[in-house]
Amino acid sequence: MELYILFGTFVFLLLIGTPVAFCLGISSFATVLYMGLPPLVVFQRLNSGISVFALMAIPFFIYAGDLMVRGDIARRLVALAGALVGHLRGGLGQVNILASVMFGGISGSAAADASAVGGIMVPQMKAKGYAADYAVNITVTSSIIAIMLPPSHNMIIYSISAGGRLSIADLFTAGIIPGFMLAIALMIVAWFVARERGYPTEPFPGMRMIGALLVSAIPGLILIGIIFGGVRSGVFTASESSNIAVIYALLVTVFVYRSLPWKEFVAATLGAVRTTAMVLLVIGCAAAFGWLLAYFKVPTSIVAFMQTVSDNPILILLMINIALLLLGTFMDMAPLIVIVTPIFLPIAQAFGVDPVHFGVIMVLNLGIGLCTPPVGAVLFVGCAVGRIPIWEAVRTIWPFYFASLVVLLLVTYIPALSLWLPSLFK
Amino acid sequence: MQDGLKVLARLFGVLARITLYISGTCLILMTAVVAAQVFMRYVIGSSIVWSEPLAVQFMGWFILLGAAVGTREGYHLSFDVLLMFLPQGVVRFLHSVSDLVVGAFGAGMFWFGLELARRTWSSKMPTLGLPDGTNFLPLVLGGLLVVLFSGERLLRRAAGMQTARFGEDMVED
Amino acid sequence: ACEVTLRSADTHPDGYPTIEAVKYMGELIQERTDGRICIEVFHSAQLGEERDTIEQTRFGVIDMTRVSMGPFNNLIEETKVVSLPYIFRSVAHMNTVMDGPIGEQILAAFEPHDLIGLAYYDAGARSFYNSQRPITSLADLKDMKVRVMQSDIFVDMMDALGASATPLPYGEVYSSIQTGVIDGAENNPPSFESSGHFEVAKYYTLDEHLIVPEALVMSKTSFDKLSAEDQEIVRQAAKESVPHMRALWAEREKASTEKVLAAGAEIITDIDKTPFIEAMVPVYEKHVTTDVLRDLVERIQATE
Ligand code: NA
Ligand code: NA
Repeated sequence: MELYILFGTFVFLLLIGTPVAFCLGISSFATVLYMGLPPLVVFQRLNSGISVFALMAIPFFIYAGDLMVRGDIARRLVALAGALVGHLRGGLGQVNILASVMFGGISGSAAADASAVGGIMVPQMKAKGYAADYAVNITVTSSIIAIMLPPSHNMIIYSISAGGRLSIADLFTAGIIPGFMLAIALMIVAWFVARERGYPTEPFPGMRMIGALLVSAIPGLILIGIIFGGVRSGVFTASESSNIAVIYALLVTVFVYRSLPWKEFVAATLGAVRTTAMVLLVIGCAAAFGWLLAYFKVPTSIVAFMQTVSDNPILILLMINIALLLLGTFMDMAPLIVIVTPIFLPIAQAFGVDPVHFGVIMVLNLGIGLCTPPVGAVLFVGCAVGRIPIWEAVRTIWPFYFASLVVLLLVTYIPALSLWLPSLFK
Repeated sequence: MQDGLKVLARLFGVLARITLYISGTCLILMTAVVAAQVFMRYVIGSSIVWSEPLAVQFMGWFILLGAAVGTREGYHLSFDVLLMFLPQGVVRFLHSVSDLVVGAFGAGMFWFGLELARRTWSSKMPTLGLPDGTNFLPLVLGGLLVVLFSGERLLRRAAGMQTARFGEDMVED
Repeated sequence: ACEVTLRSADTHPDGYPTIEAVKYMGELIQERTDGRICIEVFHSAQLGEERDTIEQTRFGVIDMTRVSMGPFNNLIEETKVVSLPYIFRSVAHMNTVMDGPIGEQILAAFEPHDLIGLAYYDAGARSFYNSQRPITSLADLKDMKVRVMQSDIFVDMMDALGASATPLPYGEVYSSIQTGVIDGAENNPPSFESSGHFEVAKYYTLDEHLIVPEALVMSKTSFDKLSAEDQEIVRQAAKESVPHMRALWAEREKASTEKVLAAGAEIITDIDKTPFIEAMVPVYEKHVTTDVLRDLVERIQATE
């Protein structure tokens, strides 16, 4: 009965348009009241859920993203991407994806990517005659690239949830090849959809123009080097690198580009507050919701069920993937990682799956979950940027889901895609 | 009714603005504290022992104050699929139900946040030395603001004024 | 079949000695109550970190939790005494003290905070390890950057020893030692092994500066709901789980030590602890501030 109240209230509130964070919080509150447990626990979980030092990477990367957007770094990266791939079929769609690859090397958050790259690309795409749903679909799914490429705070959260033993540098490195595979898969789909819908291409600007744009984007590209180099060499801890990203973005925009007037700085700060408060309130409320799931032993029951079904590693990984996809549609990424890692990881390891490889599978899988309704933070950000209702985006997003799922299957069953690159640094 | 409400709405607008600026200041302070930690550790070579808990304090403030303003400005993620097929009157009613339960949750944040603060006030945070209960103060103030802003939304809707939703810009009166 | 299911929280992973001990305790209780009362263990911090589960237990949201003494230091004065560096001469000394009247006194101090202290578990002794050199004297430790937990006593201890206390999240210790951001950390042998830190910090000096027991506490609300007879069964089963836990712990410590030695780590036992203990005078002066604490320190030191 308790579980019916928890899920029933959650779904009802979601349907009547209550903000997702509050759907999670209120359904937990209602369940606890029904059970006669002290309601204190819901608010304690909410507070503890957001009082985690490792989570600070999220506001920092979002803040850095906002500063880069307001202070021109992001625009220059997008311009460079535009010159490189704009002439392909579905031009600005391809640019959107490549820009996510570049921006993803700076930002660890899919939501930040969707708002930063999407914020620049979607209006341009609409102006050039691309349908809003196409622009949003690409913006949303290509944002997963940002959490696959370093830096990725979800990899950090996974490392901590796995007991703090896994090297964050290894996890960062392991995500690189899958991240690029995803980019290529999405570019192929974008190409086909664009051909079907007859979208235009941009003229090729010539090598000289590319050279000039490359020079102007160098400070942004250096930031990619600082973040990855710093963490890979282990000089900076992952949480420190996100802070350095903010300071660096501030210094570059103020002193190199001289493109950040006070007004824009205030706007970037308030923008970061809005986005971060929204994202982290979801995480806090999901922590309360997740606590109740753990209290009712829901994850443990899922695992017990899976173990009775099969002992074949290929099937087990498939089932874990399906379970994660299902959970990912209903919950947000960070708390899910925290909750399911201690449960799924030992099973995966018992079947000989490397924990770094499993981390890549999980982050990619839950990344796809960020783009699916009903709880898909990135989907919401993308729709907000594109100013279309969620159902309109979801109606045509299937080819992009399909491409992501194909990459997920490849990453799941070919461990070398994740493990080969980190092995080079040993 | 609208005229009186517009005065009230302007007051709430000022309150939201101030809250947002405090929130932004906390984000900047958090950035500064962690930057100072990085500077001390890598440039000076010694650590500030209290930087981490202090930064976490600032994070609590900017998230929960920012989230409260979010209920007023409607920038929290929400999902309007079912409502597309319903008549306007029903949609308005359901949105009011939604604002009402959000307000109730805000009341819970306020009341139980206060209770949590009271019950944990006697122990102190390591290295920072503040009472543990201070952790819950953002929840208390944030909750209070959620109640106020949800109440304002209910009144505005009743008076036929705009209540911003996810993806829309708030129109200040 | 169970009329009452007691929910018990732990942050350690499944299979850890404290978890096995609470499961064992649950079996005893189930047997002695004809299956009326059961215990369900939530491992791996599923219900939250220690600070959270302590609050949940106090509020009666969950029934039991296994926790370190550290989080109680600023709440329950008496618990502070076991967190003092070098207060116990050895693990055997700690066990003798905690099994006796002093241990009972500290357990009783939980009650005004809505908690029933049931039993102490062993967490071994914490010692220093580092990547630089074997530590045999204070001079070797001087200016070393050592990661410590967020705690006033531990930070003051490092200051008094002349080292540089560096608070870092546990998960960042490995790479920080690897790259020289810090020189080392401190922990008990099983954690030294399971964290993999021995791979990057091979010098482990058995100085045993902290021998802090862990506690199993029950919510007073849940405890009061039980009949007097059942309360006694719970208390007794908790006590009986202790030797079981200690045996598992000893096994684990032995296995960990063998593993790190085989991997090339060096365990340094040749150390004169006297100067380390003498250096603690200012730490004791700062933290042993009340008559209750002074009395406890004296009695612990007087215990053979
Ligand atoms: Na990234
Ligand atoms: Na994109």
